[in-house]
Amino acid sequence: MSGNYPLLTILIFLPLAGSLLLVPLWDRVSLARPVAFGAAAVELALAGWLYASWRGLADVPTKLPGYLLLEDSPWIPAFGIRYTLGLDGISLLMVMLTAFTFCVALAVSWKAITERTTLFLALLLVMESGIMGVFLSLDLALFYLFWEIMLIPMFFLIGVWGHGRRIYSTIKFFLFTMFGSLLMLLAIIALHLLHARQSGVSTFALPDLLHTQLHFDTQLWLFAAFFLAFAIKFPLFPLHTWLPDAHTDAPTAGSVVLAGLLLKTGSYGLIRFGYPLFPLAAQALTPLLYTLALLGIFYASLVAFAQEDMKRLIAYSSIGHMGYVAIGIAAWQPVALSGSILQMASHGVTTGALFCMIGILDERAHTRDIAAFGGVWGKMPLWSFFFLIFSLASMGVPGLNSFVGEFLILAGTFKQSSLVVALSFVGIVLPLIYMVRLLQEVLFQKERGPLALTDLDPRELVILAALLLLNIWVGVHPAPLLDLIHLPVQLLTGGAP
Amino acid sequence: MTSGDLMALMPLIILTGGSVLVLLAGVIKPGGYLYELAGALIASGMLWGLLIPAYAVMPALAVTPYSRFFALFLGSAGLISLLLAAGYNRRRGIAGEEYPATILFALAGMGAACAATNLLMLFLGLEAFTFAFYILVAIKRGSATGGEAGMKYLLNGTLSAAVLAMGMALVYTARGTLRLAELADAGASPEPLFLAGGCLILLGMAFKLSLVPAHLWTADVYQGAPAPVTALLSTASKGASLAALLLLLPLFGAWRGLHDILWLLALLSMVAGNMAALVQGNLKRMLAWSSVGQMGYVAVALVAAPAGGVKAAVFYLVVYAAAGIAAFGAISILSGEEELDAIEAWRGLGYRNPLAGAALAVALFSLAGIPPAAGFMGKFAVFAAALRGGESTLAIVGILSALVSVFFYLRIVVVMYMKPSEFPADPVRKLNVAEIIALLVPTIVMLLLGVYPQPLLKLLEEILL
Repeated sequence: MSGNYPLLTILIFLPLAGSLLLVPLWDRVSLARPVAFGAAAVELALAGWLYASWRGLADVPTKLPGYLLLEDSPWIPAFGIRYTLGLDGISLLMVMLTAFTFCVALAVSWKAITERTTLFLALLLVMESGIMGVFLSLDLALFYLFWEIMLIPMFFLIGVWGHGRRIYSTIKFFLFTMFGSLLMLLAIIALHLLHARQSGVSTFALPDLLHTQLHFDTQLWLFAAFFLAFAIKFPLFPLHTWLPDAHTDAPTAGSVVLAGLLLKTGSYGLIRFGYPLFPLAAQALTPLLYTLALLGIFYASLVAFAQEDMKRLIAYSSIGHMGYVAIGIAAWQPVALSGSILQMASHGVTTGALFCMIGILDERAHTRDIAAFGGVWGKMPLWSFFFLIFSLASMGVPGLNSFVGEFLILAGTFKQSSLVVALSFVGIVLPLIYMVRLLQEVLFQKERGPLALTDLDPRELVILAALLLLNIWVGVHPAPLLDLIHLPVQLLTGGAP
Repeated sequence: MTSGDLMALMPLIILTGGSVLVLLAGVIKPGGYLYELAGALIASGMLWGLLIPAYAVMPALAVTPYSRFFALFLGSAGLISLLLAAGYNRRRGIAGEEYPATILFALAGMGAACAATNLLMLFLGLEAFTFAFYILVAIKRGSATGGEAGMKYLLNGTLSAAVLAMGMALVYTARGTLRLAELADAGASPEPLFLAGGCLILLGMAFKLSLVPAHLWTADVYQGAPAPVTALLSTASKGASLAALLLLLPLFGAWRGLHDILWLLALLSMVAGNMAALVQGNLKRMLAWSSVGQMGYVAVALVAAPAGGVKAAVFYLVVYAAAGIAAFGAISILSGEEELDAIEAWRGLGYRNPLAGAALAVALFSLAGIPPAAGFMGKFAVFAAALRGGESTLAIVGILSALVSVFFYLRIVVVMYMKPSEFPADPVRKLNVAEIIALLVPTIVMLLLGVYPQPLLKLLEEILL
């Protein structure tokens, strides 16, 4: 039945349609919220249905090995651009993460956003469309288009509904990411032209471009441009400086989407495009990626320890966690790569949850300063319970989701470079230090100031419970997800399926 | 002249005759429906051109698919700017029949410039519409900035006209003919006298397109002219000049110097235009400098002309024109008795006037080359042509200057949407139908070309041969 419906197109454009549906409801906020959430929920249901039926889909072979669904039609023949979408296990995992994260983002901003609410909801939905497009495009030009489109809503989200130095942060965020992407655009066009010169076929399709014969020097230049774009999104040290600012000043939903999804587009791009297109260059630059990742892990952890703002602390911890993802990709080995992909999803859930929780606290206390809190457990036991669990997850405690990914990454990388693994083990201890400090200062200790704190309401409870269930499920029983990405990972790393 | 020729020439005749008609009507009934009359005349000329595919080749003019395309494109820009001007001129007290009549005359000149087959007609067309702009720029009597802008434009413009005429004279001396086709066929190795003339012609055209180093008039004139005039000056006048330049390029044959000159013009324009736009505090001035940069991208495409750059150049210009009309249109509509062109005055306007704000925002995103606005497809076409032509230096400089441009374009968006307005109680005028159309059409064109440029690209492929 899936052959009859353009499911991937629906997946991309359903949120956009939802945002158009909001236009007549512009002044009726009480109606706009359920409509927006409904659109995101239907999207999540669709993603869930795809997951439930992926084994059935996998039995029907498509034109490309490893892909569950493909869509392909001409779009701009004058440029050689096609509308090519593909869904494999990795994309499906990311699609599920995206659909879920946007439900969380919409739910968590239900009461927090009171001004220009409809515009906010519409922008979130537009961004969901853009991110879905990034995870599903198999045509490089199409990919680039979505890659840029998803930035515009985020630019407004931070700039209009943010806090603090929101304008500075949003411009910094936009310029950093544009800088990388514009050079990648040149590299994409150059690759297209090189391929056209070799084969006479003018195309941006990934499966065709994979066959382009490139000299090592050419690969190095093109890979450098791709790498820069992805490393800024990742973000890898020293290109990370936009992230703490953007995270700190963004509204809660913005932070959740930034941490949960925008960072993942960087690692996804490296896995889907960077490494497969330029294998020689990628191999040559592996030590660089290792080094940057390790530097990021150590640097971010040390800086996180010194933070006074809870959101900024979590933002820096993100840089550290994404460092592990980078190590797993650099190893380019089935076990480590599976770990990286799983870690991408886990980090989205865990860090997203932490940002939600800080947002919830901020709504009540109107401050995120660690020094302002203390003894929160006495006042908000439920909140504190969830915060403890998610913090433990962030530290990589076994039984919760991050542990699985980090373990696989290190186990896989061990075969490639034991030195890197040894250093990363040291790095694993560091989050313990700053997270324990955070927990101790906020949850325990004595109350420092009189803050009117009320515990979670049912809406917040449901959001956090959903995040926690997902967290534990991945932590205890990751096998179904590993099955899902097994074949694509094998195909990517060149091993036998 | 046969009846077929007459059919093909009819749009030009309607515009020229219409210009006189409007002047006469103004004398008979001052303050009558002159803008409506002018608009109807332009529309009927365009409809004629659109519906009746008549072609004709005459001694000085040739109505071809090429000229038909440009006439329609320039006509739509003229029509929209007339819609904008109707309300704007009333609010600012610019009365009289000379405004609509001059617009018609300018469009007739543009139509002649892109249908020319010899140098003399080309010169006549170019100078006819430039002459019209001398009047339009200074149309607000008693306005100090308008008068200054008009004077600057006039002095610079006559100089460039002189340079252009001198160049054409030298070319005629060298080759003994003014016909473009004969000049282009004359041989692959141009003689020095011809080249001297050709270079003077290029300089004159660089003035019309505001390419560095012939750009110095741009910022003052754009700022001083009434916003609807700037809307037309920054789009249709550039379009007609590009159409004329494309007719002139074959004259140079395979002369390598043409490539080098264009290369330098492109590089300087992109860098100087975008850098200067960074520090402007006046919206119209910022857009003026940025248009210097935008013309630099058109020149990049022309450098790569052998690699399909011509198509990219025209596509880029159409996209740029849509953005320019929308941006200056938003300024025209929100200007009351005074021009609303200080950047800080736009605080919070994105919410107080959502349509004008959105049109300006889409235009700025388009100019910055951010999808889904059409500017991205334009930059894509230009850079693809540049890389195909082996111009990687220009492509990289272009990309980096585009990044710079993102900053100053976004600055306006930030002011409009992210800074609270100082006078929240400021009443907002409701837009009338003409203004809504004038804003919606270019905005929709930008979004449509941004997601589906294929029809226009295919059309360009056919008419540019």
